[in-house]
Amino acid sequence: MNQSSTLTRKIVYLLVLLAMLFPLYLLGQPAGGSGNAGGSLSQMRLEFNIAESDLGEISPASETMKLASLGLRGVAATLLWNRAHRYRVQHEWDRLKATLNNIALLQPHFDKVWEHQAHNLAYNVSTEFDDYRQRYAMVREGTEFLTRGVRQNTNAPRLVWYTGWFYGAKLGMSDEKTQYRRLFADDEVLHEELINEGIAVDSPEARGPLGKPDNWLVGRLWLNYGYDLVDNGIRIRRQTPLNFFETGPKWRFKHAEAIEREGILDESAQNAWQMAAEDWAAFGNRSIETTSPFTIKLDEIELLQEKREENVARFRELTKELYDAERDRLISELPDEIKEFWQKPESEMNYQQRELMPSILRGLEPNFAKLIPKSDPSVRLEAVNLVGAIADLDQRINKTEGYRAQINYPYWKTLAQAEQERRTVEARRLIYEAEKANAAAELDKAIELYEDAFEIWAEILDEYPVLVIDDSAEDLFESIRRYMVAIDSQDLPEDFPLREFAELMGQYGRMNALQYEALRAMREEGLLPGMNPNPDGEGQTGESDEGDAGSTDGSTGEAPDSDAAPEPDAAPEPDAAPEPDAAPEPDAAPGPGVENETDQSTEGGAAGEDAASEEAPSEVTETESGESADATTTEANTTKDGGEEAESDPAAKATEGEGSSVDE
Amino acid sequence: MTLQSEDFWSYYEWLMRPGDFLESAFMQGVVLFVLAIILGLLVGYIVSATRYGPSEGFYAVARAIRDLVRFDLPGTSASRVVALGRLAFKEAIRRRVLFVVGLFLVVLLLAGWYLNPESDDPARLYISFVLTATNYLILALALFISAFSLPADIKGKTIYSIVTKPVRPTEIILGRMLGFVAVGTVMLIPMGLASFLFVTRGLRHSHIEVVDVRENADGSLVGETDYVRNHKHTFTIEADADGRGLTDVVRGHRHVVTKTDKGFDIGPPIGALRARVPSYGEIQFFDRAGNEKLEGVDIGNERIAEGGYGSAGIARVIGLSRGSRKVNHGYVEGGTLGAAEFTFSDVTDSKYPDGIPIDLSLRAYRSYKGDIESGIRGSITMRHPTNNIESNPIAFVVDEYEVDEKILPLQIEGTDNNETRVLNVFEDLVDENNKIKIVIRCLDRSQYLGVTKSSVYLRPAENSFGWNLTKAYFSIWLQMTMVIAFGVMFSTFLSGPVAMVATFVCVLLGFSAEQVYDTRHFIDSNIERGGGPIESMVRLLKQDAMTTQLDVENVTANVIKTVDAGIVYALDAIATALPNLPKMVGTAEYAASGFDIFGALVLRHATATFGYILLAFVISYFFLKSREIAA
Repeated sequence: MNQSSTLTRKIVYLLVLLAMLFPLYLLGQPAGGSGNAGGSLSQMRLEFNIAESDLGEISPASETMKLASLGLRGVAATLLWNRAHRYRVQHEWDRLKATLNNIALLQPHFDKVWEHQAHNLAYNVSTEFDDYRQRYAMVREGTEFLTRGVRQNTNAPRLVWYTGWFYGAKLGMSDEKTQYRRLFADDEVLHEELINEGIAVDSPEARGPLGKPDNWLVGRLWLNYGYDLVDNGIRIRRQTPLNFFETGPKWRFKHAEAIEREGILDESAQNAWQMAAEDWAAFGNRSIETTSPFTIKLDEIELLQEKREENVARFRELTKELYDAERDRLISELPDEIKEFWQKPESEMNYQQRELMPSILRGLEPNFAKLIPKSDPSVRLEAVNLVGAIADLDQRINKTEGYRAQINYPYWKTLAQAEQERRTVEARRLIYEAEKANAAAELDKAIELYEDAFEIWAEILDEYPVLVIDDSAEDLFESIRRYMVAIDSQDLPEDFPLREFAELMGQYGRMNALQYEALRAMREEGLLPGMNPNPDGEGQTGESDEGDAGSTDGSTGEAPDSDAAPEPDAAPEPDAAPEPDAAPEPDAAPGPGVENETDQSTEGGAAGEDAASEEAPSEVTETESGESADATTTEANTTKDGGEEAESDPAAKATEGEGSSVDE
Repeated sequence: MTLQSEDFWSYYEWLMRPGDFLESAFMQGVVLFVLAIILGLLVGYIVSATRYGPSEGFYAVARAIRDLVRFDLPGTSASRVVALGRLAFKEAIRRRVLFVVGLFLVVLLLAGWYLNPESDDPARLYISFVLTATNYLILALALFISAFSLPADIKGKTIYSIVTKPVRPTEIILGRMLGFVAVGTVMLIPMGLASFLFVTRGLRHSHIEVVDVRENADGSLVGETDYVRNHKHTFTIEADADGRGLTDVVRGHRHVVTKTDKGFDIGPPIGALRARVPSYGEIQFFDRAGNEKLEGVDIGNERIAEGGYGSAGIARVIGLSRGSRKVNHGYVEGGTLGAAEFTFSDVTDSKYPDGIPIDLSLRAYRSYKGDIESGIRGSITMRHPTNNIESNPIAFVVDEYEVDEKILPLQIEGTDNNETRVLNVFEDLVDENNKIKIVIRCLDRSQYLGVTKSSVYLRPAENSFGWNLTKAYFSIWLQMTMVIAFGVMFSTFLSGPVAMVATFVCVLLGFSAEQVYDTRHFIDSNIERGGGPIESMVRLLKQDAMTTQLDVENVTANVIKTVDAGIVYALDAIATALPNLPKMVGTAEYAASGFDIFGALVLRHATATFGYILLAFVISYFFLKSREIAA
């Protein structure tokens, strides 16, 4: 090879190098600051708002670390992740935290990392400690880790939401909630950090009745911060808007429940419930994005229904004869037993018939679209428009109802209303004091207080039957059992105000509002004989009204089940439905036939509405455990945590049970 | 720090493994040398035979051995080695290797970003950081300086200016090694000093003021310091203590508090950097019925890979030793006869004149929630090893993830057979062999306490942190020497970059020896854990989890597994032949956790290092000799 060819080769190399530099320049030129947008990479950064400065706080340590990994960031993060796991298994907590710190420095904008590892610290690692103060410290560690994530990711509302979740649910719902809440209230160092973070823990918004910051309220402030972000146009990612917006108002409920549990049963509690009601109302009036192209407001359902009725009325005006003819045809097709009663005034119907009416009426609505071709051409255009509007409204109503059912919106609304009443707080106070007296073995005083409380509770439950589904109903039932021990009786007196409640709870351990209402109503109408709240007592007797009960059953008990079941999207929860078979079969029952029928009639009222009514109790647990299940997906790989909580819970219950010792 | 069983071996136990000679280090060394000699002779003969023909080749090899034994070894002169060493030293310094010290300082400067002084145990974080940083930097440096020097000389023909002088190949090799080790040493010293300063300064913090001082009825003062670095202390100043008092121990340290006219003066942290000298005992578990058990209760905690028969040496390579040898926490059931009994020897009143310091690092496990606010309780009982004499139990509440330091009294109430009286520990509880049993129990029914052999120990003495750090640095120095020896060895017959890569591979294999052993263990015991290299690759490509069965056809799977087994066995053999570097890096863990690095451990590492240097030296000699012959 001679010299000139070597030179040519070198020149060619050089030219190729230069040519390759050119696209590199086009791609990677940095932005010049003044008008110069730079290469296409930096333009894209600008366009998608993913420049480092747009994403959150800039951390030089993080940048150095990214550089030092020489483009092998993913590999480095994977190795560190593996190491973090090893440290966790080895219980090297300090090193675990140091490793998590490094992972976070390498991938500060991978928000799932913050979420997962914060959860890991707060939920999995914390339980490895025996001392509750160390547990608290670790929960705090997890929460602070998350807070750092929030600082570095200003575009991730879910991280903010999750922080609010930690402050609320982790501190307020774990086994150690009493201790955690106390430690949090006194944790001045954390309060100061929170203030620096922009969370006003010193404001009245965040303080509980004792003047100290309350974890639920602080959690709510975090959530509100997240809501502000979203209201300013940042999109919610990896979460449904309904779930995102629901939590903040709910923390107010939780706050009220928590302070009541801790014995604050005065105006502060009432006040807390009022605030909860306000927040819930505001939530009901918030536009919420749905999976459909429109947004909804949960509280607008009546408005939508009214509009729909107006439209239907107008449509009926337009197609007078056609409409009525079709309606008459539908009426004539009604089953005989419905024809019997459906036009009677409400006061003459029995409970089950009343319950059936809405679905009967809905069934009598003609198919509008089919009427249009036969209608008068002059009104046809308007009719078509009306049908379109009705269809649209139907969709919205459907969606709104579905979303309301998802989070059991009406339950919370009623709860807030019921709980803010003076008498509810009073009833709770009486129970609280009765329990104290009972524990102090002042039986007479306890019985008196119990009886006063039960009077009020009966009133409240009559007015707000929806309350029978919540945890406090279980507590109430426990109180009734203790009351029975106190009066030393297996049976409740005939005129016991909470008789139906106690019966249902005694039989199924839980119930739903409709079941309760049905039982109350049927008892009042003389459809049902009394039952014994003690399942292992003498058993139910159904001497009276045998035939009557039987016939009601045969006709109405079946009807809703077969054709009129109206619930479109709320799927029945099989496991939540009370099992009629599970009810104890008393040996001493007068006859099997009677026994069966009484059983069914109890169920009959509720069976058709299973879908809707069962929603209630299951939803309460759904929204809580459902979310925590979502939050705890990472927990799948923990061993001790899940195990321990699962084990310790029944144990705790067992000890409580022993304390009350009703069965003997 | 959870120690594994091999960590407790004395030097002799390690070298000879009484009862298990096949697993001993001595055996491993002998096998390695014999193999090296046989392989060396074979390769040497083949090479010479191709050069000079079969008979001449034989003579050439014989001549080389004779030269080594008759002339070169006896004729090696220390002064010439030193002279050559100085040359290598100068050469390395001229190549500006001292920059590495600067690099280290820069790393230290940036370290503040990544080390959190507010962590629960900052001393541990800091010390392990400086030691690992030094370790990796020095090993990398050793790799570079040792691998490139000889090949560069040979390539640049400057070697002829040396070999034409009356020097022997042994001297050239030893000189290089010595020179490079000297360079490394010169760099390690400032790095060590910088580390010491970094750690001590990094942990220093001052509490400036006190809050909430109360005066008790007896005139003592009780107060709290301010909140600095995520912690605060409470302190007590006794009335008759001259205005001086101590804070409690938080995050492993305490402060001296002095009352002055103006207020309170809080001193620097003390006790953050320690070197406890532990005296470990033999552990024996008892189950709930009081029967002896090899292990405690397994509460189902996740464990790190069940493999790891790491220390089995030759016995593992030839498949004689199997099973996991990892020590995990064994748990003791509370409220039953379950207990962990430790037998400590060498308990004399000269070692423990004012009480027996005992350190506990136990774990607690609850099988039910119980009372959240009170911790799990345990008890310590001292017992005579053979006679039926024991002290009354001393109750404690478990303090997890910290070293819970206690002092056992020398006079204690107890029972002597059926009689209750005050016992004197050394007279009544320690037997004639100076042994005592200490029993740990859990007091809460159905709750558990977790222990390993290393979680309970007596602490007869304390060493200075500086000396401990020096020992940790000595361990790094040993590793460096080893890497230099390997680098020089490879550079006698490979070109610079290739020699470096070869040394690097050796270091890497040394570092991942445990993983290789584990992989072999899984293959041997038919545990699906990803398999060997080919199987892993297949799994990666198919995106299969590593614990599922290999999802390919039977024949293919068999082929893959067989080939993999071959590769892994070969790797195992090689890894066993190489120095176990992670064990040596592991000494950092002792220093970081505040334990004195055992003398036996340092001696073991020194012996291993010497062995490898010797091996590398002999191999290098022959290669250099063969090159001279070629030249």
